[in-house]
Amino acid sequence: MIGWSGRRKALTILLFLGPTIVGITLLNIFPILLSTYTSFTNRNRFHPNPDCNAFLTGLLDPVCWPVFQGRAQRGLAEPYTLQDPLFQNYSDLIGQLFTLEALGALVMIVLCFVPLILARYLDRRFERQVSRPISSATLWGGAIVLGLALAFALNVNAAYDTLMSTGDFFVVVFRTLLFVILRVPLSFLIGLTLAMILNSEHLPGRTFFRVVLFIPWATSSLAILMALVWQFFFREQGVINQVLGVFGIDGMAWLTNPVTAFAAIVITDTWFSYPFFMIVILGALQSIPADVYEAAEVDGARWWTTLTRITLPLIRPAILPAIVLTSITAFQMFGTAYAITQGGPTRGADQPGATEFVIVYAFRQIFNSQNYGRATAFSVILFIFLFIATLYSLRLTRITKGAYE
Amino acid sequence: MKKKPTTTVYIIQYAILILAAIFAFYPVWFAILASGRLGDRLYTLNLAGMFIPTEWTFENYRVMLFERPLGLWLRNSIYVASLTTIASLLISTSAAFALSRFKFWGRESLLILLLAIQTFPGVLSLVAVAQILTALGLYRTHEGLVLAYTVGTLVFSTWNLKGYFDTIPIDLEEAAQIDGCGPVDSFIRIALPLARPALAVTALFGFMAGWGDFIFASVLIPAPDEMKMAVPALYGLANSQNVPWGYFAAGGMIIVLPTLIVFLLLQRFLVSGLTVGGVKG
Repeated sequence: MIGWSGRRKALTILLFLGPTIVGITLLNIFPILLSTYTSFTNRNRFHPNPDCNAFLTGLLDPVCWPVFQGRAQRGLAEPYTLQDPLFQNYSDLIGQLFTLEALGALVMIVLCFVPLILARYLDRRFERQVSRPISSATLWGGAIVLGLALAFALNVNAAYDTLMSTGDFFVVVFRTLLFVILRVPLSFLIGLTLAMILNSEHLPGRTFFRVVLFIPWATSSLAILMALVWQFFFREQGVINQVLGVFGIDGMAWLTNPVTAFAAIVITDTWFSYPFFMIVILGALQSIPADVYEAAEVDGARWWTTLTRITLPLIRPAILPAIVLTSITAFQMFGTAYAITQGGPTRGADQPGATEFVIVYAFRQIFNSQNYGRATAFSVILFIFLFIATLYSLRLTRITKGAYE
Repeated sequence: MKKKPTTTVYIIQYAILILAAIFAFYPVWFAILASGRLGDRLYTLNLAGMFIPTEWTFENYRVMLFERPLGLWLRNSIYVASLTTIASLLISTSAAFALSRFKFWGRESLLILLLAIQTFPGVLSLVAVAQILTALGLYRTHEGLVLAYTVGTLVFSTWNLKGYFDTIPIDLEEAAQIDGCGPVDSFIRIALPLARPALAVTALFGFMAGWGDFIFASVLIPAPDEMKMAVPALYGLANSQNVPWGYFAAGGMIIVLPTLIVFLLLQRFLVSGLTVGGVKG
């Protein structure tokens, strides 16, 4: 640390942090404030304009600012006002959740995951003991069986349907969570496998393979264009169906079936994202000293034991934050789904489509329906969730810090 | 040294690698093939043509380069992306310097605040950003776009750079200060050259933010045609009523190739620039 003090130090810090603080305030914090305010109003296509005489509107909406005068395009439509009751947009989105029936359904679904959480806790405890009473595999297997049994006993299907009928919010969020649960482990496994192969010393041509396998990430800056190429693979006359045609199989319309359209998005997004994992894991693997493996070999450790007892625990500090961060970005995935399916296929005009993930949903609410009030309420709820997730990831990082130093 | 793997292991490893390489490269290869085929024949492609070049022409490239305003779009993109790179480098380096080399009240909270506000999805603040830029008179200008991109890259770049600077021991700089060098001066002369991988990553991400973005570019500069950025302009071309698939693919190739080359050249930097300082939270 630099040993300046007093006013000189404060001025230097302010000077160096100034541009960042101004930029962040202007284009990050202010939009969040404005969105939060808008989420309490009825701003939509029928009420697009601010009423500058209202105190908060006049303060927050840039259209009302003096600098803005003259540049504003003002329509004749009614100005937007605060909703009455204030939480109208929120209750439209998640209001029906607070009925007895829906809350009961939510509790039932959560109950099914209790065995898994319990298993994790017990696994951790047994790990510290000298002789484990139950092996890890038995514990997890039992937990999964118990969870499935609970799901049957409590009739989770019905509970799920109840929740889904409470409005768009749960439909969209569940779908997005399902996407994250499928996509992140998939790209992690691919990345891990490839990184481990590329890390082996006696492998002619591994530089070549590293470069080729890295290509998807290099094109990801132009994701929207590559996504269109992928869209062509899945079209009715696309590559997949033509190849299937050679074998005499009639392909299907992949992108109009909800399940296959979802799978198409998962595959495409995996293509974009596995190189990141590959690079991070490769970097972590290279920092493991070779003598650890030599010692394991002397002790006669098998391949699987080496993987689960040495490799994975040692790269954990480096990859855990990467997994959390990737999960958050996967949750916010927009470009791939928007370019390939635009949220569809959908069953009805008012229902969210099968690949309408959270951001796609919000984007369509804003730009297709001009439903600002509701879209911002949606984004505020999401923001709260993601905020908590970020703080949690920071905590995880703290815990794992120091493994290398 | 580890012992040499057996032949079976070799075969499995190469089988996985080759499969993965096909998975990784085929979409790009497909786009390359399409860029050399004539016209808008999206649905009449024969099967062989999807895997090997059955015909090849530079006609699409000629049309895109000389008969469409692609050159103009590319110039806009280069202008915006380079300005974003420079601005992002300057601002995040100075912020990371302050955060890494000084201890002051609110430092930890500022770092966490930066991470937390980043979780507010950029797409959803787009309307507010557009309003702010209009108020500043920067809506529909390239400079406004540069401002939006720069702020968008700040969080990641500042965290990554700060993490990297933290791994560079401060002793060297202190030695320089004893010799009469100022703290800022010594930092620029000693720490910055050592942080080259992280700076390369920052520059690359800044450039990519400006070069490949679609949503901000299409909302903040909706018109006129000659002001547009390359990616949204090309996407607009492909999404109109009849899809000029060949033109679209050729244009895409022209846009992708430079970034692909830069990415592959900077690969080694990327591994160390990302994992040493670490986006470790």
